[in-house]
Amino acid sequence: MEAASVSHLEHDHHGPPEANKSSRVDPAMLGMLLFIISEIMVFGAFFTAYFFIRVVNTDSWPALGQEIPWAIAGINTLILISSSLTLHWALHSVKSGNRFAFKVGMLSTFLLGACFLFIQVNEYIHLGYSPTESAQGSIFYGLTGLHGAHVFIGLTLLLMVTVRAFRGHFSAEHHRGVEVPGIYWHFVDVMWVVVYATIYIL
Amino acid sequence: MAAKLRAPGWYRAGAFTLLGIAFCFGLTTLIRALYSYDPLIDGYAITVVAMLGAPFFFLVGLGTFDYWFYWAAGRPTRAEDHSSHGAKSWRDYFKVNTDHKVIGIQYVCTSFFFMLVGGAMAMLIRAELAAPGAQFVNAQTYNGLFSVHASLLIFLFIIPVFAGLANYVLPLMIGAPDMAFPRLNALSFWMLPVAGTLMLLSFFAPGGSFATGWTAYAPLSTDAPLGQMMFTIGVQFAGASSIATALNFLVTIITMRAPGMSFWRMPLLVWANFSTSLLVVIATPFVAASQFFVLLDWALGFNFFNAARGGDVLMYQHVFWFYSHPAVYIMMLPGFGIVSEILSVKARKPIFGYRMMAFSLLAIVVLGFSVWAHHMFVSGMQAWIRVPMMITTAIIAIPTGIKIFSWLATLWRGVLKLDTPMLFALGFLTMFTLGGISGVMLAMIPVTIYVSDTYFIVAHIHYVLFGGSLFTIFAGVYYWFPKMTGRMYDERLGKIHFWLTFVGFNLTFGPMHVVGLQGMPRRVADYAEQFAGWNLFISMASFVLGASTLVFVWNMVASWRAGPKASSNPWRALTLEWQVSSPPPIFNFDAVPTVVGGPYEYGVPGAVHGIFNSPVEAKPAGSLVTRPTKE
Ligand code: HEM
Ligand SMILES: [Cu+2]
Repeated sequence: MEAASVSHLEHDHHGPPEANKSSRVDPAMLGMLLFIISEIMVFGAFFTAYFFIRVVNTDSWPALGQEIPWAIAGINTLILISSSLTLHWALHSVKSGNRFAFKVGMLSTFLLGACFLFIQVNEYIHLGYSPTESAQGSIFYGLTGLHGAHVFIGLTLLLMVTVRAFRGHFSAEHHRGVEVPGIYWHFVDVMWVVVYATIYIL
Repeated sequence: MAAKLRAPGWYRAGAFTLLGIAFCFGLTTLIRALYSYDPLIDGYAITVVAMLGAPFFFLVGLGTFDYWFYWAAGRPTRAEDHSSHGAKSWRDYFKVNTDHKVIGIQYVCTSFFFMLVGGAMAMLIRAELAAPGAQFVNAQTYNGLFSVHASLLIFLFIIPVFAGLANYVLPLMIGAPDMAFPRLNALSFWMLPVAGTLMLLSFFAPGGSFATGWTAYAPLSTDAPLGQMMFTIGVQFAGASSIATALNFLVTIITMRAPGMSFWRMPLLVWANFSTSLLVVIATPFVAASQFFVLLDWALGFNFFNAARGGDVLMYQHVFWFYSHPAVYIMMLPGFGIVSEILSVKARKPIFGYRMMAFSLLAIVVLGFSVWAHHMFVSGMQAWIRVPMMITTAIIAIPTGIKIFSWLATLWRGVLKLDTPMLFALGFLTMFTLGGISGVMLAMIPVTIYVSDTYFIVAHIHYVLFGGSLFTIFAGVYYWFPKMTGRMYDERLGKIHFWLTFVGFNLTFGPMHVVGLQGMPRRVADYAEQFAGWNLFISMASFVLGASTLVFVWNMVASWRAGPKASSNPWRALTLEWQVSSPPPIFNFDAVPTVVGGPYEYGVPGAVHGIFNSPVEAKPAGSLVTRPTKE
């Protein structure tokens, strides 16, 4: 790598100097945390809309004649929470060098997440009302849909990690590529608990 | 040809864009078929989906995602051979490049392009307003012109040009070889042309360009013609670009400072971008969300802003201003940083109250989130919000005032060198103060009720954005021009540019205070006879102002091509970027320097900021100087 870089440069350089590490935090992890902050703010804006539609406007929630299926969503919540646990187990396994458990953990996390998304879509299909009927419907679909989109992004990241896990990547020393998407997935889970609590339960 | 289509670059980008449009066509039609919508093929639906989807195909084709695709698939990634560092000809600036110096120049040039386009629209606006009645354009086109003008200058000029300047100098200033995430940096840049192109293309949309102002209030925007979507979606790309750059700056500043570069030794430009990036990460998602709401209402019939079905139109304004007030600081804080650098260097004095300068930046970040509803005093929102917002708005003027007084104290008894960057910095100081004063006036509820939606607001925003932000941008471009291009600009032309701008600016926007107080409404193509005199005057002055930009462009182009070669440190500055050659070596430093003192110790005998040893020899603070950076 070093040699290759010299060949096409006039300068007698050997690639960039090693950057000084001025903080103990890992750059990728810090980047992900900051990204999560801005994601929280996106949800914050959607919750603002929710607040205006439900609290400021004092309309009924949900709109008259509509129902919110809190029981099925409750089961779905359990599914998502368990996927966080399996993910934690997978990370723990790769750290302690147990590759088999790591692969099983990643695969089951991915499947649980996919299952959540499947149930969510099913819920939409059987809900019986659409976002175009009322503002309550709009924000219901808006918030759960926003969250669903995040589940989808998270699943894509998990899929990459899973593929790489089965291809023999990552080790007890090098597992940042598991940790960073992992923290995102945990964020998606926690966010769901908030969404579930405000939209379905309250 | 086949090889060209496979390799990243413009050919593949073009092919992928077509593919993307075809894909979006198929997807939309498929979904419509599944829902058995009629008509099956709907031009509007396809265009909106394509505006969201095709840019991604374009970016993939250009090659901004290549590395990540390899990584994701678990395939061996192309080892970083640094082949994409540096630019050897102008063509390299049109390629995906991961070198922060190249990206910085790409940013600055692209945003100045949009500045010129937006500026040309301003000329049209003033031509229309030169006399009462209709001159050149009809009312709808006029609305489109001022809307696109403001959107381009805010989202595609001021915000990104600051990111571009900082992209170039910030890693150098903190002694880092590059940004923390070079590939993300390239992606952030390439989202900008996408956003700008969308906004410009809106002129060709049926129904004309978006015409709802840069604020795009709902429900005006939710039942506007198709062009509105090009604002809504363009803002998403510009916003994503800012957020990604802000993350990148924050991580770079936190994790890649040179040894000895503690937070309290960072140049104020770095502090300023640190604060701005915090604002971007926290606030920008709100504008993204506000435009998502509009998109959903407009395209899918959601009811966020449909009062008849329980929606709330004021919610738009709350969400929008919760971003857009902090955004005015996103457009100002980096300029504060630039001015701090220049004033200290050109006055040959340490910055007065360095720590207060940094703390006041952070104070603005925090307070900036508490004032948004001062834009909504006449919106009909709950009356009890007004007074708290008036108070917080008055309070936020305090940290801003602290900065003004610190700059004045920095100048006090300094040996001022009045060259172009310094003139613009001083111009900023005076003009921004005037803008701040009209701002505080606007914070007072009785005043604001009286002048809301008049030219007084237009005067205020131009005193802070043109006299404030743009003057600092000019100052920064002149100041770092030698470093970025390796050549000197023409000082005489620079001075002509400054005086033309300064005089033209005041003659253009000063009288707007007057016509505003007299009650001339903003955002209207026509006006009452009584304002004719001032408006003709303003229009004439604005053409002088427009012409002054041409002097600038000529100076930049001619000097870049054939200006005299610049030395590494023409301003005798202490900060690290001036201690390396002009332009800097391809990897910035042979070895990361060691920082042993503050960045502004001008006039302090024997003061040193950074020492440039080979890494083995470098010793921390207190060791002997090898290559002096003192005066
Ligand atoms: C001391 C500082 C400032 C104060 C107290 C202040 C106050 C205000 C107030 C109260 C308004 C609302 C007027 C109305 O619509 O009735 C306003 C509008 C505005 N301000 Fe400021 N401002 C300050 C600094 C700035 C800065 C630094 C910028 C940008 C760099 C800025 C940009 C704007 C813009 C763009 C608008 C108009 C928004 C629109 O309606 O299109 N202001 N300002
Ligand atoms: Cu404001």
